[in-house]
Amino acid sequence: MVPMEQPLAGWRRYLRFLRPDIKADINDELAFHLEMRARDFERMGLTGLAALEAAQSGFGDLAAIRDACLTIDERRFRRASRKETLMSFLTDLRQSARSLLRSPGFTTVAVLCLTLGIASTATIFTAVRGILLRPLPYRDAERLLVIYDAVPERNERGVNISYHDYDAWRTGNRTLEDVGMWGWSTITISSDDESERVEAGLVSANLFHVLGVSPILGRNFLPEEEKPDARVILLGCGLWQRRFGSDREIVGKTIRVNAVPHTVVGVMPQGFAFPELGQAWRPMTIDLATEPGNRFNAGAIARMKPGVPLSTAAADLESVMRREEERYPNDYKGWSADVRSMRDNVAGELRRPLLVFLGAVGMVLLIVCANVANLLLARGLARDRELGVRAALGASRGRIFGHVILESAILALAGGLLGALLTPWGVRLYAMTYPNDVPFYFSLRVDGWILAFVATLIAAATVLMGIIPSMRATAIDVTAALREGGRSGAGGIRGNRTRNVLVVSELALSVVLLVGAVLLVRSYRSLTNTNLGFSQDSVLAVRVSLPPAEYTVRAKRIVYWDAVYQRLSALPGVTVVGSAEGIPFSGWQVSAGMSIEGRPFVDSKDELGVHYQNVSPRYFDAIGARIVAGRGITEQDRDSVNLVGVINETLARKQFTGINPIGQRMKWGDAGSKWPWITIVGVVSDFRHWRLPEPVHSAIYIPQQAWPSASQTLVLRTTLADPRPLEPSVRSVLRELDRDAPAYQVQTFRDVVSRSLWRQRLQGRVLGLFAGMALLLAALGIYGVISHGVTQRTRELGVRMALGASRREVATMILAQGSRLAAIGVAIGVAAAFLLRKVVAQLLYGVAPNDPLTFTLVPIALVLVALIASLIPALRATRVDPALAMRAE
Amino acid sequence: MPRTPIDLLQGTLDLLILKTLSWGPAHGYAIARWIEQLTGNALQIGEGSLYPSLHRLEERGWVTSDWQLSENNRRAKVYTLTAAGRQQFRAEQKAWGNFVEAVRKVLDAPALPA
Repeated sequence: MVPMEQPLAGWRRYLRFLRPDIKADINDELAFHLEMRARDFERMGLTGLAALEAAQSGFGDLAAIRDACLTIDERRFRRASRKETLMSFLTDLRQSARSLLRSPGFTTVAVLCLTLGIASTATIFTAVRGILLRPLPYRDAERLLVIYDAVPERNERGVNISYHDYDAWRTGNRTLEDVGMWGWSTITISSDDESERVEAGLVSANLFHVLGVSPILGRNFLPEEEKPDARVILLGCGLWQRRFGSDREIVGKTIRVNAVPHTVVGVMPQGFAFPELGQAWRPMTIDLATEPGNRFNAGAIARMKPGVPLSTAAADLESVMRREEERYPNDYKGWSADVRSMRDNVAGELRRPLLVFLGAVGMVLLIVCANVANLLLARGLARDRELGVRAALGASRGRIFGHVILESAILALAGGLLGALLTPWGVRLYAMTYPNDVPFYFSLRVDGWILAFVATLIAAATVLMGIIPSMRATAIDVTAALREGGRSGAGGIRGNRTRNVLVVSELALSVVLLVGAVLLVRSYRSLTNTNLGFSQDSVLAVRVSLPPAEYTVRAKRIVYWDAVYQRLSALPGVTVVGSAEGIPFSGWQVSAGMSIEGRPFVDSKDELGVHYQNVSPRYFDAIGARIVAGRGITEQDRDSVNLVGVINETLARKQFTGINPIGQRMKWGDAGSKWPWITIVGVVSDFRHWRLPEPVHSAIYIPQQAWPSASQTLVLRTTLADPRPLEPSVRSVLRELDRDAPAYQVQTFRDVVSRSLWRQRLQGRVLGLFAGMALLLAALGIYGVISHGVTQRTRELGVRMALGASRREVATMILAQGSRLAAIGVAIGVAAAFLLRKVVAQLLYGVAPNDPLTFTLVPIALVLVALIASLIPALRATRVDPALAMRAE
Repeated sequence: MPRTPIDLLQGTLDLLILKTLSWGPAHGYAIARWIEQLTGNALQIGEGSLYPSLHRLEERGWVTSDWQLSENNRRAKVYTLTAAGRQQFRAEQKAWGNFVEAVRKVLDAPALPA
């Protein structure tokens, strides 16, 4: 038999005050029973030991019974304590919520700040996820590569490729599953009553297979359709729905494309577009017989074999290029393959701005947290007495810690939930900044990831806001708190120091954000203030393309364009009509190597990269450029053999320094090439043809009617400030001239320029917005601290004024406190901004990352804001009535 | 001659405990003694099995306990019937009556019902 445990030792009883000793109690209870029974047996005549044994044997299995009781009691206490914990948590929660509701002003401000901070952060994260993280909507998209040509020595990337490049990559690689090729295109789809120009693409038959996108109706192109007379077309889902009423029998039907009947072979899935906005596709004509150096196809897309890293594939393609160089040195010397991942290709230029946004919005959220922590601290200081009383009454440190952190959790949760509700609006706002719709391959949706991110933000904000106030609250010296609290809480120096540190950090973060924002805004300003060399006002651009099949004869094209200029010039409000193959900022950037008569042409890397295009006689007038030497292009320049050209100032300056360029001759390729000599007859003033921030490149302009092109962008200079109302009459003139050549891409020059700067504008706006929020929050923070300081020092101020301090001296004292904080914050911020300047350096144009103006103005502005924020409490301090102040205490 | 032990049905012991406590608070030994005296030891309760029952009743909230000094100045755990316990006792008492009545009817039946 197990020896009975001794009844409770005296001291152990006191442990019961902390927690019942279940085991001891059971032993005690059972021992009592056995003792009583043994005593009864003794009365009946048994001796001590025998009586005890008899009692035990009558009792049953003591150990088993004790265990049974123990199990039951432990279960009971466990449940009770769990319930108690829950109840006390609910009590705390109720208490915290009630105490927040008691100060609705504070709660509203805090929740509002958190809502804005969290909504902004979640919005930016949605963009980051949609653009940089979410897999692109192609099969195994991470294995897709985009390949162009590159001339590393001239720092040219993304250059068009030749059929030969494509064929060499496709057959010569060891790391790719397949390679497809594509080209830009627009087509006219016409029916009896309506014709429209549609963004389209030319694709090799295998391209959609490489992408891993299959038609929802019909089939992909076949390899044998890669020739000019195939006359087949694939339609995009949107076009199919809009133009053909979602006709499920469309496959096999004939539609009129560029005035030629084409058979529809399939319809691509909903949302799919290629390239960019393309909604219809025709097979690319693969002509491997063309010269290897004939690079006029847009690019290639390849799928890597599984497990191949990008660098290996790039090296593989590079070695293909070097093998081709051995066979065709003229066409490949200096040329490389420009290989990038699909993601980099579509999101490359957005990566840095997005990461900068994310960093900026993270700083805003930090400032929000610091601000709320500061407000919580101020509340905490005012409540030292309450917390002191609670501590004195036996509330544990954990309980007080919990109470304070619960307040911050409630605030964070409220802000987080409201922020999550606002996020879709924020995302819509962000998406609106895109010049066209957000491309289909970026999906800006608020999904589970975003919600999980918001949950993380809530948790982080709870800790960031709550940790300092709750640590301070638990460190309260009970007696001191009660004593100090007896005279309306002074809070102690330590609390103020913490608050000062928080405000200084807020100011420092604001400086960093403000410097970034000012740099980006100045950069955008510098872009928009760039002298473009052409005028944006009152100019309308309209593109028109002739159906090639109907206009194979040169004379017919000449007649058409003459008619266009004549008819459009006659429109009321139109003063000049000109045209170019591509207008400025349109992305039409065709360049070729050219040589100048009488100068040696050593090899391809010495060649002059010159932009060239066909322009009409009035083009320079229409866009507002001037002829600075010689003459412009005239109606009479129609000779395709004795070609004339007008060069721009940049080409004149670079190649004809000290020489009169008029009368000099240039040609494409080297002096022996089959191309005709072009006699320079004039010099036109420089204008920005490339999108900003690209500089002006050398250019030569050829008379359009010498080599009449099939597609031109018409430029109409008008008398209207906003030339858009002219669109219908322009459209109807063009429809009358040829119903298969409808107007498209109708836009004002102002829109063209403004759209090309959308990313820079977005950068300035987003960072400006965040910096504004930061500035406001920092002002609020410094106001809160100074104002609270004044309240705390009412008595002291009263004494000072009673002793003869003037109002001015008091105000100066308070302002000095504010400017001291501002000075420290700004100094730290400027240093941090200076260290971080490289982050935005790549996004800047025309502004140095350490721009002295920015680094001077921002600190001054911030100190001013801090002073203004301190001014209100300073003025309040001067109104302290010494008598009242001292009596109030 | 050994008495025929009657196996206690599950819950019967609980009923007996509730009944004894309905007269007033008592410690475990007192409850055991009362049941013993009243039944004339006909029910061979292993005395010890009383305790798990008591603890279970306490867990269910039908009795409460506190420590008091006993008649011989010893700390004893005294159980008191709660309001819920009294209600439970009445319900169980009634159920037990119905049960006994039903069993008696069968045992008293003179013949197989037609």
